Amino acid sequence: MATLTLTELLGAPVFDTAGNRCGRVREVALTPQEDRARVSQLIVRTKAGDRMMPFSSVLSIDGGIRVATPCSEWPPTNGAEGVFLLERDLLDQQVIDVHGRKVVRVNDVDLHQESVANRPVLKVGSVDVGVRGAVRRLLKGIVPMPALRTLLRRIPPRLIPWEFVDLIETDPARRVKLKISHERLAKLHPADIADIVEDLAPDEREAVFETLDEEVAAEALEEVQPKVQKAIVESLDSDRAADIVEEMEPDAAADLLADLPEERTSEILLEMEPKERKEMVELLEFEENSAAGRMTTEYLALPPAATVHDAVETLRQFEGGVESVSTIYLVDAEGKLVGAVPLAKLVLADQSTPLQSLTADPLISCHAGAGEKEVAELFDKYNLLTLPVVDDEGKLTGVITSDDVISLLRAKL
Amino acid sequence: MRLLRRWKTRILIFFAVVGPGFITANVDNDANGIWTYSSAGAQFGHMLLWTMVPTTLALIVVQEIAARMGAVTGKGLSDLIREEFGLRVTFFMMVGILIVNFGNVVGEFAGIAGSLELFGLSKYITVPICAVVVWLIVVKGQYKSVEKIFLVASFFYVTYILAGVLAKPAWLDAMVATVVPPKRELFHRQDYLYMVIGVVGTTIAPWMQFYLQASIVEKGVTRRQYKASQLDVITGCIFTDVVAWFIIVACAATLYVHGYHTVSDAKDAAQALRPLAGDYAYILFAMGLFNASLFAASILPLSTAYTVCEGMGFESGVGKKFGEAPVFYWLYTILVAAGAGVILTPNLPLVKISILSQVVNGIVLPFVLIFMLLLVNKKELMGEYVNSSFYNLVAWATTIIMIGLTAAWFWSLKAGGG
Repeated sequence: MATLTLTELLGAPVFDTAGNRCGRVREVALTPQEDRARVSQLIVRTKAGDRMMPFSSVLSIDGGIRVATPCSEWPPTNGAEGVFLLERDLLDQQVIDVHGRKVVRVNDVDLHQESVANRPVLKVGSVDVGVRGAVRRLLKGIVPMPALRTLLRRIPPRLIPWEFVDLIETDPARRVKLKISHERLAKLHPADIADIVEDLAPDEREAVFETLDEEVAAEALEEVQPKVQKAIVESLDSDRAADIVEEMEPDAAADLLADLPEERTSEILLEMEPKERKEMVELLEFEENSAAGRMTTEYLALPPAATVHDAVETLRQFEGGVESVSTIYLVDAEGKLVGAVPLAKLVLADQSTPLQSLTADPLISCHAGAGEKEVAELFDKYNLLTLPVVDDEGKLTGVITSDDVISLLRAKL
Repeated sequence: MRLLRRWKTRILIFFAVVGPGFITANVDNDANGIWTYSSAGAQFGHMLLWTMVPTTLALIVVQEIAARMGAVTGKGLSDLIREEFGLRVTFFMMVGILIVNFGNVVGEFAGIAGSLELFGLSKYITVPICAVVVWLIVVKGQYKSVEKIFLVASFFYVTYILAGVLAKPAWLDAMVATVVPPKRELFHRQDYLYMVIGVVGTTIAPWMQFYLQASIVEKGVTRRQYKASQLDVITGCIFTDVVAWFIIVACAATLYVHGYHTVSDAKDAAQALRPLAGDYAYILFAMGLFNASLFAASILPLSTAYTVCEGMGFESGVGKKFGEAPVFYWLYTILVAAGAGVILTPNLPLVKISILSQVVNGIVLPFVLIFMLLLVNKKELMGEYVNSSFYNLVAWATTIIMIGLTAAWFWSLKAGGG
């Protein structure tokens, strides 16, 4: 399987069957909606202007491109809207290397040549983001090709296989038309997505967050720095923003909404489901720095009489984040906090054991108005994973999880 | 305690207002700026004051364009050049920027050497130590906290305004010289042309455009918050040029009128502050120059490394480890080490080198401006934020005038050395 680079292909002469020169290759086009890798057309600069030559008419590539159809049959280019052009849309642009989990800039594109039914087929194999591609482009036309090839062989390539490349397209209409999605990006860990997104320009971030699935977008957004987080949410439509915010951990969502301009916050709240909206409004009323401002309202609470079996059943139904279920809380009929059962004890106990017999001693909790310093001290002193927050009457109102405390402390480092 | 708290609040408010525009403007009055303006005043008295008004206008326009591009695209200038003009153009641009900025870095270390020599400290000791300090500040990620100290210390520039007033300059003459264009014969003088290019080159330095745009992007300024940045940029530019005006006037009143027409070292330049501080002028000057040099010496190599790596697609950022962004760190290290190294050459004419680097700035400026103008007028990039025709007029005029001045200077060189 021979490899050809985009730099070599651009500017290559095109000949018809009679051996007449029709023009030079100006652009290389893909039609991603049909095949993400296969070159579908070449734009050839002829005397009669730029023409779209279907790649199926190519007979051979090596030593000048030979084609079966006369150039008068090729349609004029007309803006080339429905295709992805390798030079215009890929070369020198930033793409996401999903495997290496970072944003990279494309120096050259490697095309793999195959043969199907005696006709050549070109497929994008990988993008070159290293020095080799850069040197090739800098020296092309200055140093003779054979000498350049020898030189390039000495430089180790830095290639990213095409299947690990995620394209960034900021125009929504084109994104839909060319079927550019972020399926591969979405499979990464939310924290990695967040790091990648932070490296992008605002429009590009918006593009990524518009295409990601809401749940993935929410998880990734939680991991993004507050400043960038705010910018992203402000750039999205209110209903899209609301969809994402609904999926976020309530405490993180509340922090984010509290940072936005008031008008924007209410727009987003209006688009939210009534239940989530109510919860969010309650959280927003707390001061951000108090225990209540840090807590999430997604936790597990059961009556004292419940058994391990009941707890496991409730756990199965639970939709909140995993970090808040490391402890299960016991509340009496009035909602007062009476006990806390660590998940580990639950796992080891028999199905019928009443939860009350598994509670950890002493029962640590803090008041909704407690300051962040007090919260951090409690976590440190009692080695907590979660800390229940109670109101004036001792009723459980929420839970602070250790990840929130770590973020808080890291912000002060 | 309360007094302390009140001061703390005040300082906090100050930093909340100070944005990238003001910081850039402050770094603009670096060692190279001080040398160039001082020499301009000493050598030509008030004859260069007329450049201040058009240069300020051009500076505001150019910096505003850079800031606007940063806010609208969210990308650095070298990123944009790469994406719109391709690898080859970017490569040559980056090589050029690297050379020009290196000249500026050398100038900053010349400032460090010169300022500390006033205290009798040998440059063979001070320059290597400062190079290591600068390197460590950045590599250890402490730049942001040190920046605040530099900024506060930049208030030293106010001393030039005071010195300028106390020197009892010929106010009327200075005012007239600011608004009335100079005699045409002056433009036949090679040394005069050289200094005009230098003054413009130090005021509107090419690196500033890259630096400002990158700072705007880093700060996360968006289209919506852009108005505030605009104000920040304009205040910064005006502040820079007011200081520059006073440096020239102070040097004209203290050096030029007394027949000292060359500033050859820091001792000469320090005389400008004599009306304010008397025999202690040198202390004031040395501390101010040292701060300005160290400030710029930490920013310039870093900004250059960012610019080049972004354009060429290498990993960059002080948040990354050495192994993750080797090109970035090596480039930065080499710029600092080589910049300091050059200064260690014995008997180096520090001031001349510094001014030369600013003249090179002035010669390269039009090329940077051309790219900025092509980019900022691209509708698909800037949308409704493309330049207004007034902006285009000012920026293109600046470009053409700088090319003209450079051509005239080269012509005067060829025509027999003056």
